[in-house]
Amino acid sequence: MSEIQIVNVSKTYNPGLFKKKVRAVNDLTLDVIKGEVLGLIGPNGAGKSTTIRMLLGLIRPDFGTVFFRGKPLGETTIQREIGYLPENPYLYDHLTLLELLRFCGQTSGLDPAQIKKRGQELMGKLNLLEDQKRPLRTFSKGMLQRSGICFALLHDPSIVILDEPMSGLDPIGRKMVFDLVMELKQQGKTIFFCSHILSDVERLCDRIGLMAKGRLIKQFSREDFLQNIGKTVFLQTTRLTETQKDVLNSLGTSIRDEAEGHLLAVSGDQYFSTNEYLNKASVQVLGCRSEWMSLEELFMQHVKEQRP
Amino acid sequence: MRCILSLAMITFKEGIRNRSLFGIALLALLLFGLNITVAGFFMRDIGKVTVDMNLSALSFAGLLLVFFVGVNLMAKDIDRKTIHLVLSKPISRAQYIWGKYLGIQFFVSASLLLLFVCSCLTVWFLLYLYPNYFIGFSWPIFFVACFFVLVKFSVLTAIVVFFSAITSSSLITLIFSLSAYVAGVSIEEVVFYMKSEFAAQEKIISESLTTFIDIVSYLLPNFAVFDFTLEAAHGLAITSQRLFLSFGYGAIYIFILLLLASFIFSRREFN
Repeated sequence: MSEIQIVNVSKTYNPGLFKKKVRAVNDLTLDVIKGEVLGLIGPNGAGKSTTIRMLLGLIRPDFGTVFFRGKPLGETTIQREIGYLPENPYLYDHLTLLELLRFCGQTSGLDPAQIKKRGQELMGKLNLLEDQKRPLRTFSKGMLQRSGICFALLHDPSIVILDEPMSGLDPIGRKMVFDLVMELKQQGKTIFFCSHILSDVERLCDRIGLMAKGRLIKQFSREDFLQNIGKTVFLQTTRLTETQKDVLNSLGTSIRDEAEGHLLAVSGDQYFSTNEYLNKASVQVLGCRSEWMSLEELFMQHVKEQRP
Repeated sequence: MRCILSLAMITFKEGIRNRSLFGIALLALLLFGLNITVAGFFMRDIGKVTVDMNLSALSFAGLLLVFFVGVNLMAKDIDRKTIHLVLSKPISRAQYIWGKYLGIQFFVSASLLLLFVCSCLTVWFLLYLYPNYFIGFSWPIFFVACFFVLVKFSVLTAIVVFFSAITSSSLITLIFSLSAYVAGVSIEEVVFYMKSEFAAQEKIISESLTTFIDIVSYLLPNFAVFDFTLEAAHGLAITSQRLFLSFGYGAIYIFILLLLASFIFSRREFN
């Protein structure tokens, strides 16, 4: 069942008089299914943040409709169910984290006991307990990011929208946030997030949408880029001749061109026969990999295709 | 209502902890101190000068509070995109406007209340030093004048919220609000002049200019109706009708302005 449906949505920004209009999102159709982790990736200016802002009702689409659980978005309908973390959240300088969370809880309809319990729990997970009474202006960028995550998750939303959640975090902070998102995933929350850190997207997402120039150009499932179901071994070899490729293909091996040679996907039961042929043909094996094509490679390949 | 009060509370806290507040309070206290120091120079007008200076100090401090702190309390939300976070909670755009207004209003009221206490102490001290020169002085009229200083800043706060709702930069909000204040303070005099015999003798004042001023005078806030300095300084009685009209005018003006701000704000997009 779709939690959020974006149907043929377009949005054009008008930067001002005598300036060319910018089409940020162009005929985008996308479903976010209940309980899945959907990652939206794409180069800068692809329209990811604009899509999120349309979901939140901060901007209105020029064409198309955004549905939340089958109904068009109202002014505060989705807000009761979502937790949102913007990219680089700017919080109130003179408030403490505790006061900010109290505000968040009150506006979300939680009672003081719930606010306290949930606030302490989240601050504990994100290592902010000691800093809860400090003004937010004294926080580092990473601490502000983690505070923003507490703010987004305090009311235990069923949908979590995260715009660059790992931005500005050190490795420890990234691990904390990563674990938290994994925990949310295990709890069955619907998670929709944008990130430029493709390794995180790769590890976290069930489905990935690739956007470029305001369009959704490709959707991948985990299997599309991992291909590690079953016992497959990925071998990097020197460049193969056409004859060698034909023989290997006849042995059931998939072959992909790479910059310095070829990548072979060899199934477990064909491993020895393939290895024997590689030995016989004096093909040097340079190494092995855990995946057929990394998300980064997929990303670059599709984005390059979009360039004129 | 809960959302409005929560938002008002964080806006109030954000304002009251702003460091510029200390500077403004210090400046106002200096003006009160100056009043005590120089009051003796004014011979028989000590009472009048004291009331004048105190009300002016309150007004000046109020202006600084609204323009230097109040403007930032809402406009910076939009400037720095904090509004994205706030509106991601179940707060409607109209609730945001009313919450922000109440928060800035609490902040301005609390700050002015503190300065009002200082002002009363100054007047009381000078009254104690020079009891013979405060002929006609009346505490209730002084209190009324101080209360209407607060009403004036309530209207100005609504103007700031209105301009914050339609612009996306705190500087533009500041410029528009300041212009509205300056025009609002002087509009009554301009209208009186246009209707006077002197204006009739001036051939350069066209009919269209008169009509324009007439329309503008209805749109701009007339801050002169909140000025009771003359009455407080001379101890002149104020009719209840004038009090009611001034207060009603202020309340209706604020209400209409906030309704308009809510309407515009609910149609606004936040990139």
